[in-house]
Amino acid sequence: MNPRRAIDVAVPPAVFGVLFVLTWEAIVQGFDLKPYFLPAPSAIWNAFVDNFDLVRSAAFASGANALVGLLAGTLLGISVSFLLMRFNILNELVSPLAIALNAVPIIVLVAVFQNMFASTSEIPRRLMVMLIVFFIVLVNVAKGLRQVHATHLELMRSYAASPLAVLTKTRIPNALPYLFTALKIAAPTAVITAFVSEYFGGRQNGLGYFIPSNFANSKNAVAWAYVIGACLLGLTFYLISVVLESIIKQRRGAAPGGETT
Amino acid sequence: MTPNKILGASMNAVVINKVTKVFNPDKPNQVDALLDVDLTIAPGEFVSLIGPSGCGKSTLLRLIASLIGPTAGDVLVNGKSAAQARLDQDYGMAFQQAGLFDWRSVVKNIELPLELKGWDKAKRRARAHEMLALVKLPEFAGHMPWQLSGGMQQRVAIARALASHPPLLLMDEPFGALDEMTREHMQAELLQICAASNTTVVFVTHSIPEAAYLSDRVVVMSPRPGQITEIVDVDLGSDRDEGTREADAFYDSITAIREALRGIEHAEIRGGVDDR
Repeated sequence: MNPRRAIDVAVPPAVFGVLFVLTWEAIVQGFDLKPYFLPAPSAIWNAFVDNFDLVRSAAFASGANALVGLLAGTLLGISVSFLLMRFNILNELVSPLAIALNAVPIIVLVAVFQNMFASTSEIPRRLMVMLIVFFIVLVNVAKGLRQVHATHLELMRSYAASPLAVLTKTRIPNALPYLFTALKIAAPTAVITAFVSEYFGGRQNGLGYFIPSNFANSKNAVAWAYVIGACLLGLTFYLISVVLESIIKQRRGAAPGGETT
Repeated sequence: MTPNKILGASMNAVVINKVTKVFNPDKPNQVDALLDVDLTIAPGEFVSLIGPSGCGKSTLLRLIASLIGPTAGDVLVNGKSAAQARLDQDYGMAFQQAGLFDWRSVVKNIELPLELKGWDKAKRRARAHEMLALVKLPEFAGHMPWQLSGGMQQRVAIARALASHPPLLLMDEPFGALDEMTREHMQAELLQICAASNTTVVFVTHSIPEAAYLSDRVVVMSPRPGQITEIVDVDLGSDRDEGTREADAFYDSITAIREALRGIEHAEIRGGVDDR
């Protein structure tokens, strides 16, 4: 994208954002809305600046939960997808399960995990993030490893290629864009899962804890300051996924469509 | 000339001996793809397989390639079993879909069969560039496959199939997805390349003019079960160019092939889709 076009694309939403915040401020001031109903953006900003260190440490705690879960889930998902490719029986067992999970809010499992570990443990929410990321990565990478072009397999056979060569020179490169697509879906999902998991209880250090607890204490502006932190963290993970997407686009032209769970 | 070629000159390129192929035997979906097929192809010969869908022409090609095995009978390539010929990479293969590997550049696609043969990097890179020059795409070495048109992709696929200088080239409707102009152009180029390298070609096609233009012999096949009904000799000489397409002998050959195809029960001729 050239700079000129970048400006054309960026200006309208930026103008809209500024107008939105100004209107919000004007309505709160004009109608004299009480802070417990809706705080003014200026009050939120002040709370954000005053509590910056707290918000930052909470964002880091949530970010760590999301990141650890994302990495663990990705590694586990990749490993199991290789097993599924190798053993058809496993594939027939796990694939319908992974698809059925679409219809189940597995996030409630975090309550089960909470029960298994100490109340100060980070493990339950990381397990939850891992589990959700795991299925996204599993479904997509397994697809990439299996859905190899028939012509490619025939060619490899005509070259008398070993099973290992078929794996490293055909199946794995074929699955790579599927992995990137999975990560693109999984990165923002990991953050949301971390927030929601923190909200369910356990150690009181993440954004998902501080947002509702501050609302409960009528410190609405502070709660909103944590919301800003949540937005920034979400944006960071979203940016990761955008970078991943551009990597695939550069290499392959277009990324395959992904599947969520 | 390689020792391989000297040996090859003294024996037949392909011998198909009483070959029968049944898919899903003794099951409700049993298919008698080929029944008692005999065919011998001499070195340097260009032979096309033509016939309606389900006549087993692609199956026959895959048997020669040892991508599948026969139910009965045997296939010899270069004087050895088809399976051994495959292990020795005695043939190159091209399909209707170019089947380039999207994640490899053009030059790396051509290198792949050499890489699997264990050639060192410098040697296979040099050969790949040589092949690119042969198919007239020297400036596209570093391009990715999706940046190329369909015709260019197919040329890269042919370069890849010929990269190890195999004595035999097996092609399954390689120009089937190309437009008519590109197709005629590619046919002429293929003839030049094969004549220059003295490569034997077995070529599956649906197109009568294509078979006539390219082939020394056209094998006409009938379906259910797949059998050879007639072999038409095409007498157009070895120097074929665009003028050949206007020659009377060319039209005579087309007529001969068409009549051979008509001999197959009319209802069987549906054309179109592949018969794998």
